[in-house]
Amino acid sequence: MRKVSYSVSRLQRHGYIFILPTLIFFTLFLIYPIISAFRLSMVEWNLLAPKVFVGFKNYVKMFGDQRLLNSYLRTLHFSAVSVVAINILAFVFALMLGSRLLRFKNFWQSLIFLPVVLSLVAVGAVWEFMYQGTGFIPIMLRKIIGVSPAWLTDTRVAPYAVIITYVWKAVGFYMVIYIAGLLDVPVSYYEAARIDGAGFWSQLFYITIPTIRNTITLALVSCIIFTFGQFAIQYVITQGGPSRSTEVLSLLIYRTAFQLSKFGYSAGISVLFFLTLLILSLIQLRLFKSGTIGS
Amino acid sequence: MSSVRISEGISKTILYLAVILSGIVFVFPFFWMILCSFKFNKDILSVPLRFFPPEWNWDSYIRVFTAYPDFNFPRYILNSFIVTILAVVLCLFFSATSGYGFAKYRFKGNNLLFTVVLATIMIPFQAIIVPLFIFIRQIGLANTYAGLIIPESLTAFGVFMMRQFFYSIPDDFIESARIDGANEYAIFVRIGLPTATTALLALTIFHAQWVWNLLIWPLIVISTPEKVVLAQGIALFKGGYNTPYPEQLAAGVIACLPLVILYLFLSKYFVQGITMTGLKG
Repeated sequence: MRKVSYSVSRLQRHGYIFILPTLIFFTLFLIYPIISAFRLSMVEWNLLAPKVFVGFKNYVKMFGDQRLLNSYLRTLHFSAVSVVAINILAFVFALMLGSRLLRFKNFWQSLIFLPVVLSLVAVGAVWEFMYQGTGFIPIMLRKIIGVSPAWLTDTRVAPYAVIITYVWKAVGFYMVIYIAGLLDVPVSYYEAARIDGAGFWSQLFYITIPTIRNTITLALVSCIIFTFGQFAIQYVITQGGPSRSTEVLSLLIYRTAFQLSKFGYSAGISVLFFLTLLILSLIQLRLFKSGTIGS
Repeated sequence: MSSVRISEGISKTILYLAVILSGIVFVFPFFWMILCSFKFNKDILSVPLRFFPPEWNWDSYIRVFTAYPDFNFPRYILNSFIVTILAVVLCLFFSATSGYGFAKYRFKGNNLLFTVVLATIMIPFQAIIVPLFIFIRQIGLANTYAGLIIPESLTAFGVFMMRQFFYSIPDDFIESARIDGANEYAIFVRIGLPTATTALLALTIFHAQWVWNLLIWPLIVISTPEKVVLAQGIALFKGGYNTPYPEQLAAGVIACLPLVILYLFLSKYFVQGITMTGLKG
């Protein structure tokens, strides 16, 4: 009897071999860098001269840095508006495509999903043309409602030009997650609700949303993480302009390190970025009290 | 009864209108990109707006490859294929092996180690680019494909997805293979992997689009022109002086095609994969 249990536990140890490559590479290329970001944020370094340990000086500097403050607020604004818009739209599309009244669901779904697989750098070019003064969007707007803002040159509007492009690009992915979630709501719930005389809205709020709560949490958390780090649209369409109105944190981290050669300071901003995101994600998970992820 | 039918008819009409309109909005920019790539430079932003090209310009697709000696697009395309394929294969390797290990073996520390791996979801790539670059440089991988590919192949999302998938496979298959005397790794290759095909294909399309389109990491790691990947090449091309619009758009269309084609072939696995792996939470 002892012999059997011994061999069973030996068998289970093969699990270590299976997870070993992942553990090694994740530790070296994800966990070590995030720890070393904290270390680097304590130095001044341009990659060439020797590192100078400066303690918390970079953090003190960050408090008075107007460019960083602007970038931080722009990132929060960009992320908040995008995440809300993406998730509402994705959920609405998932509901629409899940309707029993609709045919050719796969076709409609792939139309909305198409932007997800397109290269952002590539479609960035066409969006830039569409936003320009004589581009498609201003011309159509003037035709329909008579006016159009200066999408790429007005500091109040440019952030929304970037948001629209990003929402267009990302919605399809979250839509698919919501579609998968909706498939899990038992049809019998709706039938019972209909017999009780529940209308569309009460079915939505009392059945659909509570049942797919975990899906919503997962979609929101992953959407916040991806959106916070968004880089390519701002880099390609606006280059952070006009007047830094679209210079989000990832762009600032990139520029501070690789254009200004302030690697320590850039690492400090990365730490701020990481901690903000960590807090947001933890609040999210706590709010929804999702116990299933990872169990 | 008839009033129910009428209200259903109205709902149906509204639904179709909304779906068709959304479909048009979502496809339009890509469609517009293709149309404009066939226009001449002067027609792209001309007033009044001309929907279809007044004269068709077929040359931009040829000029992208021939007229700009500083930009070697065939090479960029080849580089992007190499990097994407290797990064996806590595990602599938890490995700499948560790997903299987976490799901099918009850070793000590399983939950703890999985939580650690899963927690790396909270480490956004953009937050570690600086220390990661310094590390890559220290170990001599700056300006190499390995330095580009290895970090691009790691995703906790993939590990999570494959673990959820392997959980849903009954252990009986594995047990009966064990009784037949097969070793653990042969079981993984002959039984585990084949059952996971759909999940692996879903991960393939998801990860391929991320790697193919990623801009920030190539911008940092790659510094010699021969190693530039397509997304980076287009960003540089677009940033160049006097690059005509049709050529920029033509390069963009070329960059989008491989993934559009991949998606057309794999799209049905995508939703299936997400559904069956319980990715929805």
